[in-house]
Amino acid sequence: MTTPMDPSVATTPAVAQPFSATAPEARPLLEITDLKMYFPIMRGTLVSRHVGDVKAVDGVTLSVKKGETVGLVGESGCGKSTVGRTIMRLYRPTGGRIVLDGQDITYTEGAAMRAVRRRMQMIFQDPYASLNPRMTAAGIISEPMEIHKAYESGARRERVRELLSTVGLDPDYGDRYPHEFSGGQRQRIGVARSLALQPDLIVADEPISALDVSIQAQIINLLEKLQDEFGLTYLFIAHDLSVVRHISDRIAVMYLGRLVEVTTAHALYDEPLHPYTVALLSAVPIPDPVIESRRQRIILAGDVPSPSNPPAGCHFHTRCWLRTRLGNPERCVAEAPELRELGTGHAVACHFAEEVAGSPEQTLQVKGSDAAPGARGSAAAVPPGAPQTPPPSKPARN
Amino acid sequence: MPLLSVQDLVVQFRTHDGTVHAVNGVSFDLDEGETLGLVGESGCGKSVTNLAVMRLLPQPAGHIEGGRVLFQEEDLIRLDESEMRDIRGKDIAMIFQDPMTSLNPVLTIEEQMVETIRAHKRVSKKEARARTLELLQTVGIPQPETRLRDFPHQFSGGMRQRVMIAMALALQPKLLIADEPTTALDVTIQAQVLDLLQRLAAEFGTAVILITHDLGVVAGMTKRINVMYAGYVVESATTGDLFARPRHPYTVGLLHSMPRLDAQPGEPLIPIEGTPPDLRQAPKGCPFAPRCAWRVDACWTTMPTLDPIDETAQIVTTGPKATHRIACWNPATAEEGIHAHPNRPGFTPAPPPAEAVS
Repeated sequence: MTTPMDPSVATTPAVAQPFSATAPEARPLLEITDLKMYFPIMRGTLVSRHVGDVKAVDGVTLSVKKGETVGLVGESGCGKSTVGRTIMRLYRPTGGRIVLDGQDITYTEGAAMRAVRRRMQMIFQDPYASLNPRMTAAGIISEPMEIHKAYESGARRERVRELLSTVGLDPDYGDRYPHEFSGGQRQRIGVARSLALQPDLIVADEPISALDVSIQAQIINLLEKLQDEFGLTYLFIAHDLSVVRHISDRIAVMYLGRLVEVTTAHALYDEPLHPYTVALLSAVPIPDPVIESRRQRIILAGDVPSPSNPPAGCHFHTRCWLRTRLGNPERCVAEAPELRELGTGHAVACHFAEEVAGSPEQTLQVKGSDAAPGARGSAAAVPPGAPQTPPPSKPARN
Repeated sequence: MPLLSVQDLVVQFRTHDGTVHAVNGVSFDLDEGETLGLVGESGCGKSVTNLAVMRLLPQPAGHIEGGRVLFQEEDLIRLDESEMRDIRGKDIAMIFQDPMTSLNPVLTIEEQMVETIRAHKRVSKKEARARTLELLQTVGIPQPETRLRDFPHQFSGGMRQRVMIAMALALQPKLLIADEPTTALDVTIQAQVLDLLQRLAAEFGTAVILITHDLGVVAGMTKRINVMYAGYVVESATTGDLFARPRHPYTVGLLHSMPRLDAQPGEPLIPIEGTPPDLRQAPKGCPFAPRCAWRVDACWTTMPTLDPIDETAQIVTTGPKATHRIACWNPATAEEGIHAHPNRPGFTPAPPPAEAVS
């Protein structure tokens, strides 16, 4: 669990090297390289002309190891859902490569693609829209097995009952219709359906954001339990950093079609290196008035620019607090920063990421101060079983 | 005398499926310039309470069945529609979650803002326009002179919410009700809007009721919080007290069921089991009892009143010294509040009474 957090490591201007997505120790289950997904903008009534592209995903490189949970986080319109859907091959990518367990599936079609789909499944955001209202729960859950001709029909029924109880529903509820279930129960049906074919990879696209607050934790805990039980690999797509940080081993932060930072869940909060990540973290409210009163938000100016006409160079330069501080260097506009590794497994796409390390923004505005990470209820409480290693010391700057 | 005093408010909806018991006797006070958070899940009655205060309940289903809403010592429930219209917008303003549905899509921003101002104030169009321009500047709309003539759909979500705030504050109301004002917005935009809301409310001395399900938002924005569940206020305290010493099992559950950005790695989430109750059933006992790990026999039969934790304390309903009150037969101790489960040897939650089993 120990991560090399010595700030000196990061502050040393590392030699910029291209970020390699491949972990040397094991072949990743999923590997996407320079993935591009453009949607054409067409104009004209009689003759439609191709006048531009919405570059929803513009060169994303990411790998997911077996059994790992990678969180993909970003604001609406950043392309995170498109990444998930392109990996599922619901779209035909514009460029790049998608490799699932050694097999290139970038342009696989037809029967070959159907065979691949067995190995990866998706959980959707809206449990009201993603279940067919005219099918029973059992019908919904067994449909993937019918399509892929898995199990004999008797065994299929048994499998449905087993899946229902796995996700915490009464196996006798199989003949009920979606409207007879609550939102949380519906999402459990969606989870059961995704497990039906025993996939390796599950892409979960905002699986809890449509649920009531008190129900969200039930689904998060269910997903974690299932991962332990079946060795699942998750790509967890969400906008809520607190949730993503809770469930993920590693996190990729996305802005306008590109990844800006990839690192462990731990390091993302303790040592964010991209100015956008820092601003995003500082904007997430923490349910603790003491901490809130100490934090100072970085208020980003303006809105996210349109992905059909993104700013030149670094997409974030129009809103970047660091660029302003550095006197608006030309490089941010002229040159798009590549993801480069700064410290082990910590990749960041910013020309000036070294300036973020140890900056007052990195500590003060994310955490409120150099104080120890907060614990629920009481400032002194440390949950039993939590690692007792003290948080890496940060230079206190005021 | 508080600015607003809601007393024993009961709101029901009569629908085809039966009567929905949305608000079951809610009381709270609010001082001038105070910020109060109303926290709870969807369906807990937080929005309905405030729609009743504004007398904007959906018609014909919504009915105020009882209680009083004293605003500056005047009972709003007894006012007729035209008197109420004078108060709405001028003295009490409201902003909603989705600004697109609360702005008129076929009028420009200028037209609707000028109309709002002139509905309440005898000013010329020119003066109203000047005021509109000034307000848009205050809320940080770039190039307000040109954006005035734009329609709502030409603004982004964050900008629309700024327009709503400008419109709500146009007549410097005494009370602003913000119903999930940032729920539809991205987190960086949420930060902008909350920052703006806080700054302007302080500047104008406006009292704010902030309705939200997000405990993080109220932690930074409010001075006092009412936690609501199934149409009841179950816990009421200053923001500091509520987060430092939550005592109602539902509040404790809420605090532990959401991951925190600053959580230790590996810290488990403790969900609240079960689902929120069906409000079509008349409340019997404490509505949280079926989901509560602390429940005792009385919880199944009688809803407790909202009483001070320290029974001898004199009740203060507003301000920084407001009394910490809960509606619970068997509150969590401070220690249990940290671990989110009852920590008493031999204690088991009371089973439902025999007749309710069938």
